[in-house]
Amino acid sequence: MTEYNATFRKYIKYMFFLLSIFVLGYGFTPYHSIFLGLILGSLFSLFNLWSMYSKVERLGQAVIHKKKVKTLGSLSRLLMGGLAALIALRYPQYFHLLSVVVGLMAIYIIMLIDSLMQAIRS
Amino acid sequence: MGALALVAAAIAVGLAALGAGIGNGLIVGRTVEGIARQPELRGTLQTTMFIGIALVEALPIIGVVIAFIVLGKA
Repeated sequence: MTEYNATFRKYIKYMFFLLSIFVLGYGFTPYHSIFLGLILGSLFSLFNLWSMYSKVERLGQAVIHKKKVKTLGSLSRLLMGGLAALIALRYPQYFHLLSVVVGLMAIYIIMLIDSLMQAIRS
Repeated sequence: MGALALVAAAIAVGLAALGAGIGNGLIVGRTVEGIARQPELRGTLQTTMFIGIALVEALPIIGVVIAFIVLGKA
């Protein structure tokens, strides 16, 4: 397995761990709308992670084989954030808007913390 | 108020796209140069590019979310 694939699997693992915490929070606390918002945002964040992984992999292959890549999928990732916000606005009784936004940023926070931990270790 | 909300959302999305475009362009350009020079380092360079793109796109995503919130609340 390459370093790139291993990094991706590590982030997926952390995201599922975080999602399981949110599901437990939804089940065992009275703050249902907050945790449901976090779950929704995290699911969209997970899609963004997979999208980035596949596009960057395709770019790497294209450079090696001297081919062209048209897009990096930035538009779809930006619009996923918009879609999450729209769902939260449409169903405010189920999804807390601020927690959806925090959930969307989950993968980026995980990446930052992981990079910091690696920098501290080395 | 509706017209102002549209203008605000359009400005937010436009600036978000500008930021994401410029940031991603710089990152990908440098990474492609690096991979072209040393193809054996593709894995490491891809990982760094992956993290870079994610961090660059984080704030534009917030910008788009704010644009949709402004449109939704208007």
